[in-house]
Amino acid sequence: MAQYAFKRFCTIIPVLVGISIIVFGFIHLIPGDPAVAMLGERATPERVQEVRIQLGLDQPLYTQYGIYVGKILRGDLGTSILRGDPVLHDLMRRFPATVELALSAILIAVLIGIPAGIVSAVWRNSIFDGCSRLIALTGVSMPIFWLGLMLAWVFGVMLGWLPTGFRLGTSITLTPVTHFNLLDSLITSNGAAFTASLRHLVLPAVALSTIPMAVINRMTRASLLEVLSQDYIRTAEAKGLPQRGVILRHAMRNALLPVMTVTGLQVGRLLSGAILTETIFSWPGIGLWIYEAIQARDYPIVQGATLFIATIFVLVNLLTDCLYAVVDPRIKYD
Amino acid sequence: MRLTAWVASGIVLAGLLFGAGPAIAQSTFVFGNQGEPVDLDPAVITDGISNRITRQIYEGLVKYKGATTEVVPSLAEKWEVNKDGTVWTFTLRKGVKFHDGTAFDAAAVVWNFDRWRQSKHPQHENQVKAGKSFEYYEKQFGGFDDKSIITKVEAVNPSTVRITLKTPQGPFLNNLGMFTFDMASPKAVEKSGLAFGKNPVGTGPFKFVEWKVGQEVILEAFKDYWDKAHAPKVQRVVIRNIRDNSQRLAALKAGEVHGFEGLNPDDVKVVRADPNLQILLRPTNTTGYVAFNFKIKEFQDKRVRQAIAHAINKKGIVDALYGGTGLVATQFQPPSLWGYNKELKDYAYNPEQAKSLLKDAGFGQGLKEITWEDGKKEPLQFWYMPVSRPYYPNPKEIAEAIAADLAKVGITVQLQTTDWAVYLDKRKNGQLPLYMLGWTGDNGDPDNFVCYFFCAPGASTEGFYSNQKLADVLLQAQKLTDLKKRAALYRQAEQMISDDVARIFIANNQPPLPFSKKVKGYVPNPTNSEFYNTVSIEK
Repeated sequence: MAQYAFKRFCTIIPVLVGISIIVFGFIHLIPGDPAVAMLGERATPERVQEVRIQLGLDQPLYTQYGIYVGKILRGDLGTSILRGDPVLHDLMRRFPATVELALSAILIAVLIGIPAGIVSAVWRNSIFDGCSRLIALTGVSMPIFWLGLMLAWVFGVMLGWLPTGFRLGTSITLTPVTHFNLLDSLITSNGAAFTASLRHLVLPAVALSTIPMAVINRMTRASLLEVLSQDYIRTAEAKGLPQRGVILRHAMRNALLPVMTVTGLQVGRLLSGAILTETIFSWPGIGLWIYEAIQARDYPIVQGATLFIATIFVLVNLLTDCLYAVVDPRIKYD
Repeated sequence: MRLTAWVASGIVLAGLLFGAGPAIAQSTFVFGNQGEPVDLDPAVITDGISNRITRQIYEGLVKYKGATTEVVPSLAEKWEVNKDGTVWTFTLRKGVKFHDGTAFDAAAVVWNFDRWRQSKHPQHENQVKAGKSFEYYEKQFGGFDDKSIITKVEAVNPSTVRITLKTPQGPFLNNLGMFTFDMASPKAVEKSGLAFGKNPVGTGPFKFVEWKVGQEVILEAFKDYWDKAHAPKVQRVVIRNIRDNSQRLAALKAGEVHGFEGLNPDDVKVVRADPNLQILLRPTNTTGYVAFNFKIKEFQDKRVRQAIAHAINKKGIVDALYGGTGLVATQFQPPSLWGYNKELKDYAYNPEQAKSLLKDAGFGQGLKEITWEDGKKEPLQFWYMPVSRPYYPNPKEIAEAIAADLAKVGITVQLQTTDWAVYLDKRKNGQLPLYMLGWTGDNGDPDNFVCYFFCAPGASTEGFYSNQKLADVLLQAQKLTDLKKRAALYRQAEQMISDDVARIFIANNQPPLPFSKKVKGYVPNPTNSEFYNTVSIEK
């Protein structure tokens, strides 16, 4: 197992090299001089040239790439052009917000998606199944920015039940320790901040959970249906085992493998920052940060963050692969 | 029993989550900003998001009065200038302190000017090495070191500063009123170095408390503020970053912010219909125009330019696409500027006259194709910007309206746009045949509008428009300090631009700022940054 994990870990390296080349290449293919984009209407030729030199854009591409990789290997993701802050520092400040949101969304998705998928499969073609499939389809196809805005307007503006955005209200103070608000409010025993953080988390997490929830729901249903038609399930039922035990202990264990795969992919996707959700709810995570950086052509941030996201994605997938063995003891890694 | 326990805990949790949240504290003013500030050191920033915050923390020698760009005393009580306009002597206010407790005096003023002006000043050099620039100083005062119009800044005594200029500069006082030239505490800059922009210290009514990255900047009233008559009316100011226009409106309606900048034109009526909200208009300081490329043979004919000017229904565009906050522009300067020419008679919307002018110019059958200087012919493309700007809140819709107006008189255009950076690049290189762009003023001086565009005849940036006489008038106005004489010259310049149809000016926008009706005393300034010490929140 450990050997397998190590081997898989090593395969990440060429993937990351590939990604770094793609990230670096693509940003240079985008039309428009980044110096002009940054300076806007007020760009004078002298200033444009200064900024080009400052960004190293006057160097040949391969030199720029070489410098870029060298810095990454030293743990330096560069410095933001706009604000002058180290990219890694900013990333670490913003990533907790994204993790907090992503984990909450995935929790909602799993807690609703899997049970609903099980019920749909067991009582297939029932009214519940029909409704659940319809909701899942809507969940997958609904544009998040629309759903996010609607949630904010209905629950924030019209009903006034929940905040329309942000991580905390202006009247609450919370001393940052880990930058995970829920955790920090527990560590500092700040009950008001805990409730406020939870209230602020609800709408963005619900908006963000719709797609993973729908995907997990559909996968659970399909996978469980396939397992339920197999012989060993019939045998178990024939032995007189209660239905609940047959489904949860015998069928689900096998049905969970593909569900885990899609959940893993969804976790990776959510951890890479939800640009739309974070923008609509002013959630200070990496999604919003990347969006702003792309608009400002802040190359180091876009490059650093993309590389970071790719790494997270690959690592989450590796972790999912390793978890297979835990769920299914038949799987052995050589 | 187990089920009851679950239901009960569910209800308690829902109560906690969905109950009314804590409201904004009474003495706090919360403003919705369109994004994250870049830096809070006014000397090295140029963006409106950051300077909205720095204006609360710092003050300059002079400031703009209320809703105007009229220059009034601030940290300088009074000033005088010698006859030829090259020596300015400022008398400073006594007893003013920076937020770090150090005294504001002539030495501090000299130190700030030296930092902006001298490229080898340690606190200038370090910023440049870190990729920042003192861009506005360079632009407003001609450059650094020997290039700077300001040649000497001396402390005559602790409360008197003398500034010597190489040549007289008409907009000098207006320049000094800009946020960039607000005074920073020398001790704090030296202590924080590059990090000063994250630990700002000025003399303003509010003192910096915290910058929560990606979220908000928190300020609090400065207890030792010198101007007791205008001491802050709120204890705390929170400036939150809300990137999305619709979410800012949702936050305002939900009572999470008191007001914000950047309202969608379509949402103006939503705010007007809400009895709890009000709209304040920022006095216009922005002009959207249509520019010609003078390398195109057809546009070298004044009759064609006049025809286009007569063909565009500016009022129709302003009424339909500015949410009721736009004004029809007749000239480059917006009406809030003192160089504005009230007498100027604009080209009236008159499709018939446009057709007749086109016929006279030899385009009785219509104009579809243009000819570049090298003889290359191509269909006439009309370019519009891909992003919303204060002067063109809906560029695409405005372009479509202009294209429809032109079609009515027989001018067929193909609408074109591209990425913003490419757009600016093409404009800079003089590659756009007919295009939309605009300008937002920096300092309320006409020079900043008119000379910025017309003082370099033949520049590719300005579509190769060349008018030396116009440039001479503008350069003459730049060197005078007598406001009356300058105003007359700017009026003359506007008439010359109009007579020659160098550009077609479409609209001036008055950006709308929605606020809760509880907010009193917010006075929007044309330059985009106002002071929050006048703001109070009603119970």
